[in-house]
Amino acid sequence: MGDESGWSEEIQIIVDRFQSCFDTMERYELLFEYANMHPSVLSMEEWDDENMVHGCQSRAHVECLLDGDGGFIAKGGADAQIVQGLMAITAIAVNGLPPEEVACHDPSYVEEMGLSQILTPSRANGFMNMVKKVKDEASSLM
Amino acid sequence: MALDVESIRSQFPILQRTLPNGKKLVYFDNAATSQKPLAVIDAMSDFYKNYHANAHRANHTLADESTAALEGARDRISKFFGTSESQMIYTGSATEAMNLVAYGWARYNLSEGDVVVTTEMEHHANIVPWQELSKERGIELRYVPVDTEKFTLDYDAMEVAVEGASLVCVGHVSNVLGVRNDIERVIQMARSQGARIAIDSAQGAPHEKIKFDDLGADFLSVAAHKMAGPTGIGCLLVSEEALSEMGPFLTGGSIVKRVSLEDTLFQEGYAMFETGTPRMAEAIGWRVAVDWLEENVDFEEAHEHVQRIASWMASRMREIPGITVFGYPEREESIGVVSFLHDTIQAQDLGYLLDAGGFAVRTGHHCAQPLMEAMGVGSTNRASVWIYNTMEEAEAFVSHLESIVSRFS
Repeated sequence: MGDESGWSEEIQIIVDRFQSCFDTMERYELLFEYANMHPSVLSMEEWDDENMVHGCQSRAHVECLLDGDGGFIAKGGADAQIVQGLMAITAIAVNGLPPEEVACHDPSYVEEMGLSQILTPSRANGFMNMVKKVKDEASSLM
Repeated sequence: MALDVESIRSQFPILQRTLPNGKKLVYFDNAATSQKPLAVIDAMSDFYKNYHANAHRANHTLADESTAALEGARDRISKFFGTSESQMIYTGSATEAMNLVAYGWARYNLSEGDVVVTTEMEHHANIVPWQELSKERGIELRYVPVDTEKFTLDYDAMEVAVEGASLVCVGHVSNVLGVRNDIERVIQMARSQGARIAIDSAQGAPHEKIKFDDLGADFLSVAAHKMAGPTGIGCLLVSEEALSEMGPFLTGGSIVKRVSLEDTLFQEGYAMFETGTPRMAEAIGWRVAVDWLEENVDFEEAHEHVQRIASWMASRMREIPGITVFGYPEREESIGVVSFLHDTIQAQDLGYLLDAGGFAVRTGHHCAQPLMEAMGVGSTNRASVWIYNTMEEAEAFVSHLESIVSRFS
């Protein structure tokens, strides 16, 4: 864990990078970058109705499991790179944590990144649905 | 005389808006819904502030004023569309109007084996009601294909499809491609077969002066909100002959002469179809919208203006690496819709990135999935132009799109 924010150092680095962006377009460029760095991609072949995230404007899928050490893994895939980037950051935030911690995960780092202009109400709704699905799956894996 | 775009723009408060990211709004989502002039917003507000009451239901002053405004609006709007008030049924939307054709006319007049013709180019509003009715009544549903090289309806195939048909339902203008279908020819084809003909003009009426009585169609649907009017109201224009063949669709209060526990005697004409509390504020707003259009917009000049901007955008966008423009917005008869995709930037991403520059476009399948399938894509980005857009906005749009492609592809 990092400072009193409760985020890992890795997430704090991401927050700092987003905060140093000049404008929305630079933030989008960073999201594209993180989309390509997703630590646990759910390949398109694995997308189905069961792992679909509802309420997203684009197609998004999440599937969660525990690794051999009992650490949580959030696999994710989306057709839009911007959504995939948000999923990647969420995966970076929760992967490896015990499911008990993921179940009460607070994604407030997204706000700190200055993404409020990007996450208009309907997009924020899709993101929160994705986070909820991750937390629900964590609860079921406890 | 050219369209006075500056004067028009000054009457739309929302066009002055700055977005949360500091960018000035450039609104290119007009095929989804148009913005509203202040006169329309004020008229609806005035109704609620000064004479709001339920129309057709009481004998107090406010109810009289409200009823007069509702029926005055019907008279004014129907004349704007080249017909009389007795041939105009208020609906909640153009979609509801097409459902009214299906459930208020076809359900009463068609039976197993009768043929309804529609096309692959349609909005879902002109496909799904027919599929549902087909399941319910055993009606044969025929689809006219799209010629995906010319991006027009395949009129040769339509000649064959209409043989023996009872009803032909076709969109005036494609909401995806901006193609203006040759509805006059389609009406002739349908008439030669003795078929009734329904035109979905949700996308046509904002761009072309409708003269319903001269057109020769039996049904024509319109959405107010796509032509400066409020959301929540549209209409179905109906020929006298077709109206006489219709029966109730949605039932309940307002549309009846007498109800007993055994049976109901319905009103006649348009009054048979407008159940529930009327859309009073919306009708008043729409009436002011048609007044406003008549005072401020010559439809031929508007078409020239819109088509010039869309044509320029399409031709410039075709030069941007990776961009595909669907159809031919450059054609003289096209109506200002430019559907496009980039070969590596996903459509939703492109929509977000355009929004970051202040540009509002639509992204998705545009409720026209069969057409998307014929085009071999799942979705497109769609920029749609209307009377208040400017060439400067188009230039800024193309410039921002070029910048996106160079940074993100």
